[in-house]
Amino acid sequence: MARHLVLALLFVATFVAPAPAADAYRIGMSVAITGPAAGIYAPAFDAYKVYFKRINDAGGINGHPVEIMFEDDRGEPSRAAANAKKFAEGVILIVNASISPTYKPLMTEAEAEKIPLLFGGGVCPKEAFPPAHPLIFCSTSFGAQWDSRFAVPFIKAQAGGKAKVGFVAQNIPVSQAEMEFAEKLARELGLETLPVVVVPGGSADFTPFAAKLKDGGADWVLSWAPWPLEIGVFEALARIGWTGRYVTYAHQPAQDDLARLKSPNLFAFGGNALFTEALPIHKEIESAVKGQTSHPPHYLVEGWVSAMVLEQALRKCGWPCSKDKLAQTLATVSVDTRGLRGGAIEWTADNHYRQRAYYKVYRWDTGSRAVVPVGGWTRLDVK
Amino acid sequence: MQAVAGVVVLASLYVLLGVGYVLVYRASRVLNLAQGDLMMVGGYALFATVTTVSASPFIAVPLALAVGAAVGVLVYALLMRPMAGHPVFAAVLVTVSLGILLRVAVVLVYTDQTRYPLPAMDFSNPPVRLPGGAAVSALDVVTVASAAALLGGLFAFLRLSRLGIRMRAAAERPLLAAQRGIDFHALFALSWALASFAGALAGVLYASNVRLDPSLGILGLKAFAVALVGGLDSLGGLVAGALIVATVEVLTIRHVNPLLSDVSPFLCLLLMLLVRPWGLWGTREELERV
Amino acid sequence: MAYGSGYFKTTYEADMALVDTRLRRLALATLIVGLAVLPRVASPFVLELVTQTALAAVGALALNMLTGLAGQISLGHAGFLCAGAFTVGILTESVKAPPLVTLPAAAVVGGLLGLVVGVPSLRLKGLYLALGTLAMHFVVLYVASEYQARWGFNTGVSVPAPTVAGVRFRSGVQWYYVLVAFAMLTTFLSVNLGRSRVGRAWMAIHDREIAAASLGIAVARYKLLAFVASSVLTALAGALWAYYRSFVSVEAFSFVVTIEFIAMIVIGGMGSTLGALLGAGFVTLLPYGIDAVVGALAPGGAAPYWLFPLKFGAFGLLMALFLVFEPLGLVGIWRRARTWVVLWPLRYAPLRTVR
Repeated sequence: MARHLVLALLFVATFVAPAPAADAYRIGMSVAITGPAAGIYAPAFDAYKVYFKRINDAGGINGHPVEIMFEDDRGEPSRAAANAKKFAEGVILIVNASISPTYKPLMTEAEAEKIPLLFGGGVCPKEAFPPAHPLIFCSTSFGAQWDSRFAVPFIKAQAGGKAKVGFVAQNIPVSQAEMEFAEKLARELGLETLPVVVVPGGSADFTPFAAKLKDGGADWVLSWAPWPLEIGVFEALARIGWTGRYVTYAHQPAQDDLARLKSPNLFAFGGNALFTEALPIHKEIESAVKGQTSHPPHYLVEGWVSAMVLEQALRKCGWPCSKDKLAQTLATVSVDTRGLRGGAIEWTADNHYRQRAYYKVYRWDTGSRAVVPVGGWTRLDVK
Repeated sequence: MQAVAGVVVLASLYVLLGVGYVLVYRASRVLNLAQGDLMMVGGYALFATVTTVSASPFIAVPLALAVGAAVGVLVYALLMRPMAGHPVFAAVLVTVSLGILLRVAVVLVYTDQTRYPLPAMDFSNPPVRLPGGAAVSALDVVTVASAAALLGGLFAFLRLSRLGIRMRAAAERPLLAAQRGIDFHALFALSWALASFAGALAGVLYASNVRLDPSLGILGLKAFAVALVGGLDSLGGLVAGALIVATVEVLTIRHVNPLLSDVSPFLCLLLMLLVRPWGLWGTREELERV
Repeated sequence: MAYGSGYFKTTYEADMALVDTRLRRLALATLIVGLAVLPRVASPFVLELVTQTALAAVGALALNMLTGLAGQISLGHAGFLCAGAFTVGILTESVKAPPLVTLPAAAVVGGLLGLVVGVPSLRLKGLYLALGTLAMHFVVLYVASEYQARWGFNTGVSVPAPTVAGVRFRSGVQWYYVLVAFAMLTTFLSVNLGRSRVGRAWMAIHDREIAAASLGIAVARYKLLAFVASSVLTALAGALWAYYRSFVSVEAFSFVVTIEFIAMIVIGGMGSTLGALLGAGFVTLLPYGIDAVVGALAPGGAAPYWLFPLKFGAFGLLMALFLVFEPLGLVGIWRRARTWVVLWPLRYAPLRTVR
């Protein structure tokens, strides 16, 4: 009997919707909180929670609280679409921190309802790059083609002009396309290249792929993929005794693994300053999220930067802020990241990625037994 | 030579996982589709003991393995024993839901973040040079040794010890065994404990050697295909199957197409099903012709 | 179902009718009218949920035909969905084929795949069959991901909205009608198959294959028919899914999807059309139901982290509970409830009944 009551309750409760707050900025966020990609994107959920709770506790923006509807999409397009439809009733912005299969349904819905869409953690879709779609914005630190445009000359400079470079990609289109672009770029710069090694993401053992690179004679390897693959291939290379240098994009776990592996051959480059630099903003984030997240503080940086951008946009938008006004305001933001990135994030009507991309490289220094930067920030102008 | 070393290491991992399938299938004719998740739980048990109880590998590892075996017994008592008498398909589905539950439990406690127990144990994983210019890691060697030791131990146990012989008897003819006074529920629980122990061993080694995250269970499906190629109720067949599938996988990565690596165990399985469905050394009785 | 009194049909037509009593006819009419009117009163989100349930129902009905009726265990359901969806994606992308070409093509591809998987089923039984279908699932996904790997930025293949007879199907309301109609047609097909010679042959094969063969049932033919019918329907569901989402990617067809469909027919009740429908609705709506319950109990504030894995794991837990405690599923509960209502205040049927 109890079972039936519970089931009936569940069925009826489906149609009960919570009442929205009338005078708040309403934002919808579709995040991969669970599911295979959750390790990468769930921290963005925590970041937004903590960031906007802080703001609301301090009185909100322009005197109004920010209300965020969090929905888990598990990295599935169907759920992302259902989330978007749920948000369609009254939000002025949708934030997405999830894997790329969820992009298209969200973009379709955003276009249909004319709601701006902010990508704050996943790889930036090409609609955010110039010429940008009016509704699509991206604050994520890594971006296709620009990362390679930094990394390949970096390899050439470090190698002293001559090197044999291998490339590692995951079997997802963004990663494969990027590494093929990087390989072409390397050949144009006069480096010797090996064909791109594509690795299935769920592989138990990366050793055969590492063996391919080692046998090919690579002395440098560039990798641009989700972190587990990037670091897994490096570890496999180290296990089979490869002594070359490995350059890879520094996703969130980077500083932990640099410190864990203690290898001077691993170079991690990225758009975010690692928390090992202990800047004031890092300390601020660490104290703000203490006790409120089960992830290490440095995992929240992508979400935090994205939240900073959103905060500035909402402040600039004023009140009342409609979705059209917000879309226009977003196209004019210039956000001081206070050291989290190499410089400000500036958007224009044409460029919703950033005007300038900044990169910094880190490695483990055996002498000082710490993760140290290799040089300062390098700036690339995004046209 | 590197390829050969790679094959042996991969085959050992498959053997460690496959032992669980074979033991449970032999005893109770149930396909334990949660074996991969039991491996994951073993890895997390190691992580838990390392971070909370003791960082010494000599304490943490046996403790993690004991926890793994205990989980196997619990699973049998709470989930599989009530399913006695239900159709086998239902029992298999219960193991599937068990896998989901194990995964959810782990994610609730440890989130989806990738973990690395090895540094906490103050152990490093240096490469070991082999003749011919190949190299494997120290833990790879331990994996191969463990797989061999486990197999040897199981052979001895099942063939020589009284408990092992009773297990084989209960697996072959439960009714006769019960009439002879053998408590086959206890023996089924023991087979589940051994299966879970083997899975936990695989999990401990993999977590230390590579990484630990909640999605490790997917390896269990590949090992499943391996167990089937060898014959679901034969440990010897498991070794042969593991070597064959590992060879196919490594060769396809090197010479054919790296993307086929995920699917090559299943291609072997399909081939086996068409040619010799009961596996290399399995028993034929499961088949009925139409 | 027990009757409070005897209930006898006097004509063949009355006996064969799908909807026999006046109450049932009234209920069916109400349901149809309700479904037709729903878009006017419900929010787009609720409509989306109902649409997803309808699509899931088609998949569940197809799986029920194969596993519930004919007893052939299939772990490759997601593979059939993927095949149908990718046929649409590939044809639309490469030759710009219209829906009137892609949908039959998806059905044909699904049928061929069902044949390919069905032939080994003649030799394999039970668990070996399940594994063969599992292997097929991975192979199909591999082929699809190879194709997908050639496509640019956004992971997956874009499918533009279909145009049939000059009508462009883009809006949520249009797709609601299309998919609900599809689900109703499939329900009709499933119920009739169950009552027909084919359905009875399947059930006979399910119960005892050797006995069925000795009764003169061509076991091989009916087994293959089960596979092909199920896979054609599933591929069509996958094709419609591709058009509905206007996007196809391999990640949407992981093994978890197969588990979800199996959970649908297990929780709903294997072998029963109503069970497949109930199960589909239950599994699809469960996460949202949990959401609503939690939202009602603890309003305000962001959802706690543990809620999300819980929603994911809830259907696994429920599947286990149903398997252990209620093997007949939701249909079993429904039938018990119905019998209770009909027989009240008595507990047992006073007469032996025909049904």
